[in-house]
Amino acid sequence: MREAIARVEATRPARLQAGPPPAMTPAEREKVLAEFHPDYKAEKKRELGIGVSAGNVVPNEVADMLEAHLLVDPAKIDLSRVDYDVDVLIIGGGGAGTVAAIFAHQEGIPAENILIVTKLRHGDCNSTMAQGGIQAADRPEDSPAIHYIDVMGGGHYENKPELVQAMVDDGPEIIRWHEELGVMYDKENGEYMEAHGGGTSRKRMHSCKDYTGKAIFNPIRDEARNLGIPTLEFSPVIELLLDVEGKAAGAITYNLETGEYRVIRAKATVLATGGFGRMHIQNFPTTNHYGATADGLVIAYRAGAKLLDMDSVQYHPTGVAYPSAILGQLATEKLRSQGAVPINADGEAFVYPLEPRDVEAAAIIRECWSREKGIETATGVRGVWLDTPMIDEIHGEGTIKDWLAAMWTMWNRHGIDITKDPALVYPTLHYQNGGVEIEADGETSVPGLFAGGEVEGGVHGKNRLMGNSLLGYNVFGRRAGIAAAKWAKKKKSKIKTLSLQHAVDFEQQLADAGIETDLQSPMLLPDYRSKSVLERSLGRFI
Amino acid sequence: MNNTAYFPGCSLKAEASDYERSAAAVMEALGQPLEELERWTCCGTVYSLTDDDLMHQLASVRNLIRAQECGAEEIVTLCSMCFNTLKRSKVFIEQDAARLETVNAFMDEEPDYEGGIEVFHLLEILRDQVGFESIEGRVTRPLSGLRVAPYYGCTLLRPREIGIDEPDTPMILQDFIRTLWATPVEFAFQAECCGTYQIVDTPEMVLEKSHRILSSAMRAGAEVMVTSCPLCMHNLRLCYEELRSSLPEKRELSIVYWTQLAAIAFEVETGELPASMDKLLEGLPTSMELVR
Amino acid sequence: MSIPSENTIRIYVMGSAYEVPRGLTIMDAMEHAGWRFTRGAGCRSGFCGACSTVYRHEGDYRLRFVLACQTEAEDGMYLVQLPFTPAPRVSYTLAALNPDENVLLQHYPEIARCVSCNTCTKACPQDIEVMDYVQAALRGDIAQTASLSFDCIQCGLCSMRCPADIKHYHMAQMARRVYGRYMSPITEHLEERIVEIEKGVYAEEVDALVKMTRGELEEIYAARVVE
Ligand SMILES: Cc1cc2nc3c(=O)[nH]c(=O)nc-3n(C[C@H](O)[C@H](O)[C@H](O)COP(=O)(O)OP(=O)(O)OC[C@H]3O[C@@H](n4cnc5c(N)ncnc54)[C@H](O)[C@@H]3O)c2cc1C
Ligand code: SF4
Ligand code: SF4
Ligand code: FES
Repeated sequence: MREAIARVEATRPARLQAGPPPAMTPAEREKVLAEFHPDYKAEKKRELGIGVSAGNVVPNEVADMLEAHLLVDPAKIDLSRVDYDVDVLIIGGGGAGTVAAIFAHQEGIPAENILIVTKLRHGDCNSTMAQGGIQAADRPEDSPAIHYIDVMGGGHYENKPELVQAMVDDGPEIIRWHEELGVMYDKENGEYMEAHGGGTSRKRMHSCKDYTGKAIFNPIRDEARNLGIPTLEFSPVIELLLDVEGKAAGAITYNLETGEYRVIRAKATVLATGGFGRMHIQNFPTTNHYGATADGLVIAYRAGAKLLDMDSVQYHPTGVAYPSAILGQLATEKLRSQGAVPINADGEAFVYPLEPRDVEAAAIIRECWSREKGIETATGVRGVWLDTPMIDEIHGEGTIKDWLAAMWTMWNRHGIDITKDPALVYPTLHYQNGGVEIEADGETSVPGLFAGGEVEGGVHGKNRLMGNSLLGYNVFGRRAGIAAAKWAKKKKSKIKTLSLQHAVDFEQQLADAGIETDLQSPMLLPDYRSKSVLERSLGRFI
Repeated sequence: MNNTAYFPGCSLKAEASDYERSAAAVMEALGQPLEELERWTCCGTVYSLTDDDLMHQLASVRNLIRAQECGAEEIVTLCSMCFNTLKRSKVFIEQDAARLETVNAFMDEEPDYEGGIEVFHLLEILRDQVGFESIEGRVTRPLSGLRVAPYYGCTLLRPREIGIDEPDTPMILQDFIRTLWATPVEFAFQAECCGTYQIVDTPEMVLEKSHRILSSAMRAGAEVMVTSCPLCMHNLRLCYEELRSSLPEKRELSIVYWTQLAAIAFEVETGELPASMDKLLEGLPTSMELVR
Repeated sequence: MSIPSENTIRIYVMGSAYEVPRGLTIMDAMEHAGWRFTRGAGCRSGFCGACSTVYRHEGDYRLRFVLACQTEAEDGMYLVQLPFTPAPRVSYTLAALNPDENVLLQHYPEIARCVSCNTCTKACPQDIEVMDYVQAALRGDIAQTASLSFDCIQCGLCSMRCPADIKHYHMAQMARRVYGRYMSPITEHLEERIVEIEKGVYAEEVDALVKMTRGELEEIYAARVVE
């Protein structure tokens, strides 16, 4: 390793002089994507055979979940005994869900008539994990229109235009709301320190050092707690409820610790279950939290919600490739926006460091597996260098420790000092670009069901830019919360008899389509127990 | 860091910030600016009286270590309470090698405390190191005729081993007041306890004590009362407002920190003064007026 | 049970021994041994504080405190997880409080019980100077409390260890919010932009973009000038 690092050090002074390589032309981008991006491998995806979006192409792993058996036989569930009866049910205690709860309350729903149910603890979610930043076009040099163009281009022009419009228009107001909540944004002389992100044409990335996700989410959660909004933890939803008219009507939760189910009746339901990194699509490691298992897609799809843009998946260009203990964890894009450049085994810079994510990831894969200029670790993982010491060279000593403390700590815990040595990185599964199709106020195709955050589809098209999902969960969490509250106040939201017929029907459709599978869904949590244990497990208490 | 590290204590950074501001200005004027200890923790607030409870010595000893580590030989405080706690801890812990060893072993993340850091109150430094004479020389606005009651309270003087003056017949504040050309007004309850934290649970008791302290000073003719303790200040000012109507004299009594009095006489930053003090000062010529 | 080899180590989970491969995090090692987490795992990346873990090395008297998802398992570790801290938090209305130097002490009066033992700092897996931020809070220094506690992931280990029963991380969360709202200046152009958007200054331009064909957008995108 030391020899390999020496090659990076040898070229560093010249590279610092010359600056990073130029960005690719549109044609070059298309080529590297087509040849090397995992999304472009047709055999790794398939058409859905059943459901409202039958015919849509999705990754095999996702199709397996969408076309799996129910977790629980509906006949075992007694819908006549309602455990919680609320106006607004929020599924998912992450960013979008918590924002939705606060705004449903602001829209006039009393705290006790709102309920957040979540899989693990309130806050075990992707939102706490974000590092790099959040976009909002507030600088005089910038505008919502410029932001719009960046988003559309990044998403390959497949985004739903009205959703992008909603997001760029709401951006600055979201930042102001955060200020009111006491989010500690990075500032210098009273001005935001705004940076570029991959695919941006203006500096509009607001950050809170490299703990942006936590620094935004924790005050939001704190506020929900101040407002007294009830939360049910360790209680993932395993099925949505409809009423006999086909309106969303609540959900069934499963207590992960006691195994009990609960029946929740709700006039309006907000789906905010986040992403699907733990599906490990194409065996990629992931940056996502433990509970990112596509549950929201599964339960919404069974209830008749349409999906959109599910064929594309975001691989973050720079996941940790070494040490293996933290394989796949995120090396924030902020490292590159602050000057670190990807470098190959020969010490050459081979790609503009801030290409859109899919292009950057494809270029790194090409370097490792086609040009054979990757660096291979003892465990057979290949990666390229991210030349982190350049950051302090450019911005002055101490920059990494002050502004990228989370990154420094992560590697330092394993004996790697990124102020001195480059880090080994490789793409990692990061973000669910598509999801449940929504309209500008978070409405889905099921009446009374709203969605926001990573679970929704349409905002980011085929590729999300860094900083737009933190913005997205705020914008659409807020819109969904407000729309849900308004809906719950209407007469027509009154729930008729509760029903799980849609789930029963779904099983039937599986059978009719001749789909044979042993799998059940939603997955709830991945199972990382070793084969040797599972082979001998009698599963009495676990 | 020079020889002497200034330990502010918590109150000086909050409620008693006027104390710190005036002290800083005075020391600046005397050419010996206060140098604050880089990292410090609360002094421990109340000295623990159980002698097998080393846990409550940690706060003080940690501060002594911090001073030791930045190369200081002594700590100076403004707050009498901090002074009392730090100094008693120091004495307690240095008296017995076994205690010191246990405390050092517990704080294994810090270097060992080797003993020998001296703890002083700023009044002592002025008296013994700077000398009251040189203070007198720095006075630009003599407080001639101002009748000032020295209120000691307990923590500067007791217990005897650590006190900065004779517990029963202290003179240091009177001498200091004279240095500023003002007139000390002795009164019977000048070393009476103010009631300290009892203000929270039994305010009646504190009111009774304060009444005794305030009325005895006023009867003796005081216009101003000086104190060296933020907690005494808090209690006395609070009770003064509360008791106004039942006090023996119509005349107002201005309660200020002793350093504020010096700052007035030096014509440097005093921090905020009570309105009654400003009124008193109207009759007192400034250096400009004296020159004219 | 076999003897640990070059490629394996022996760990003890709540006292029971397991042999696991070398080079795994504590979390992965426990899973390898057959644990399936519901508690004690959240982000798996060091950001959420769900995986607070206490361990002791064989033959050592000292307890150590780490995040299971960020720490490599080592031979001879005696492990237990503390995934929940029953620490009360105080509700408050941020917009209505008086952000003076007493505000933290008023809401969390128990911080005055701190004896400066530094046990909290020793327990913090994020290497935060926890005692120093409690002390800063005690003397009303909100900015210092906020900045020293910035990296706190609310794992609760400090509060579990504190002999004075202080609720460090809840208090610090409040400090950061008070600082963010009252002490960190709002950037002026943000307000200006919000007003512009409300007035519809950009509406026409964005509406036009919304209606454009892919080809038109591609042209504009290609002509972008990157700042
Ligand atoms: C490491 C990392 C770094 C990132 N960095 C950035 C960045 O710098 N900028 C940016 O803009 N974006 C970033 N992102 C993306 C962004 O953080 C997420 O997309 C966004 O926070 C998603 O918010 P959410 O509320 O939709 O989902 P989450 O915050 O993940 O919340 C979803 C919640 O739903 C719960 N849930 C799931 N299934 C169920 C169920 N069946 N029943 C009940 N609850 C359930 C989950 O447990 C979770 O609590 C990053 C993501 C990761 C993982
Ligand atoms: S553990 Fe508690 S008492 Fe000890 S220093 Fe920390 S906050 Fe103070
Ligand atoms: S300060 Fe306390 S709660 Fe925060 S990370 Fe450290 S030990 Fe955990
Ligand atoms: S699981 Fe979130 S910090 Fe370890």
